[in-house]
Amino acid sequence: MRDVAILGVGMIPFGRRDEDTLMDMLASASLKALDDAGLGDKSVDAVYVANMGGGMLQHQSSIASSLVDRLSLLPAAAETIENGPASGASAVKNGVLAIASGYYDTVLVTGGEKMREVTGWRATDFVATMTHPQAEYPYGITLPGMAGMFTRLYMEKHGVTREHLLAISLKNQEMGTRNPYAHVEMALDRGGIFDSPHAVVNNPVSADPLHLYDLCPVSDGAAALVLCSVEMAQKRGKPYVVIAGFGQATDTHTLAEREDPTDLKAVTLAAQKAFAMAKLKPSDVSVAELHDAFTILEIAESEHVGFFKKGEGGKAAAAGKTRLGGQIPINLSGGLKARGHPVGATGVAQMVDIVWQLRHELPENRQVKNAEIGLTVNFGGFGNNVLCFVLRRVEP
Amino acid sequence: MRNEISLTAYKCKKCGKLHYPFHDRCLECRGRDFEKVGPQGNAKLLTYTAIYNLPWGFDQRFLIIGVAEFQNHVKAMGQIKAESVDQLKLGMTVKPSWEPIRVQQGEDVYGLKFEPL
Repeated sequence: MRDVAILGVGMIPFGRRDEDTLMDMLASASLKALDDAGLGDKSVDAVYVANMGGGMLQHQSSIASSLVDRLSLLPAAAETIENGPASGASAVKNGVLAIASGYYDTVLVTGGEKMREVTGWRATDFVATMTHPQAEYPYGITLPGMAGMFTRLYMEKHGVTREHLLAISLKNQEMGTRNPYAHVEMALDRGGIFDSPHAVVNNPVSADPLHLYDLCPVSDGAAALVLCSVEMAQKRGKPYVVIAGFGQATDTHTLAEREDPTDLKAVTLAAQKAFAMAKLKPSDVSVAELHDAFTILEIAESEHVGFFKKGEGGKAAAAGKTRLGGQIPINLSGGLKARGHPVGATGVAQMVDIVWQLRHELPENRQVKNAEIGLTVNFGGFGNNVLCFVLRRVEP
Repeated sequence: MRNEISLTAYKCKKCGKLHYPFHDRCLECRGRDFEKVGPQGNAKLLTYTAIYNLPWGFDQRFLIIGVAEFQNHVKAMGQIKAESVDQLKLGMTVKPSWEPIRVQQGEDVYGLKFEPL
């Protein structure tokens, strides 16, 4: 196995992109990554596309085959990878394995989703198709509903409060105002969504006990990166980022079958594997992008990857420990909460943001000074398929 | 209306672990032989939520859903017959029934409903 580097990254602004087709978005993000990688008109050996809903939402299949044609990357190998909301990190993992094995030298990984062209009613149903087809889906359960049930138990067992959830909403939407790629570029006011009479109207219950601003938006967007061998990255003569470690783990499909539904075992295992491979520990991480599809998940994941003990993640967020300049800055992109969550794009976008952090390319109001190690968590289903990556900055 | 609860759980014949829904191999010991078990008695409400942004197929303002554990430890999701989550609390006893839970292609789909006691 040889070490793998990220040669280039690219992203397009997330949001509602009525003017673009899914393929337009995938192609735009891919070209940015190819240009950033300095590949010019050279091709790549393979293209992996992360997408969850093309078949259901756009009535389109064989998306990777279409993308290599659009980008004139023929005859590169091409595959579409669907792993729910963890499709992005799954596609990156497969690209990493392909480079590490020595079979390919350059791989383009692009993640994208177009979710806003259907009604919210349809989009909610589309996302709910990842629940169990007999034991969960027929009842009308949604992913916010799963998160609501999880939050109620997490509050009961670990003492998380609405005040703790609020800290995540405020932080991530504030960071969204500093990120030109974010879907939601609107800072929130505590009174407006929490403790004034207007909060009831502005921030209604969505999936009790979660409110509207505890949920990520439904977004369109795409992100891409180019993987290569470390030797190839070294030749460019400037700082680059390597995959120091990664891990993936699964858990039961239904939440009801987990002995302790508040224990996100797949997150813990994926993180342990990633840290072991990287020969690093949670306290070594400079900056993290966690999968905050719901505010509770940023808190729970910050505990399960080992940044904080169980029951301490919410308090840490409320104390500012996860803000820029804090003990462990989390979701300085705004996270899924503000950058948005085009499901197939998210896992790739998380890594693009971490690469920008580790290359020290972000403006001062988002950049962690001297960031060396980054971590991502991409959370599929309701924690039944999770990938964690540890990335490291390397000087040439 | 059908009243009998048409839900089957699966008890591993090798180690006794109870499963719902079906798995081809036991999650504990990978055994492949199961005894079919029906849920018994009332149930204990383990968690719940009220969902206000419903998926396609549900033409109503909100839906209350929860997970409950039957007296013989079968755990399953169901819709809850309550007007508000204020009527519910963790650990309370709920009475199960088998009733229409949605309409698909003009046909009633049956499933679990829980009534707070």
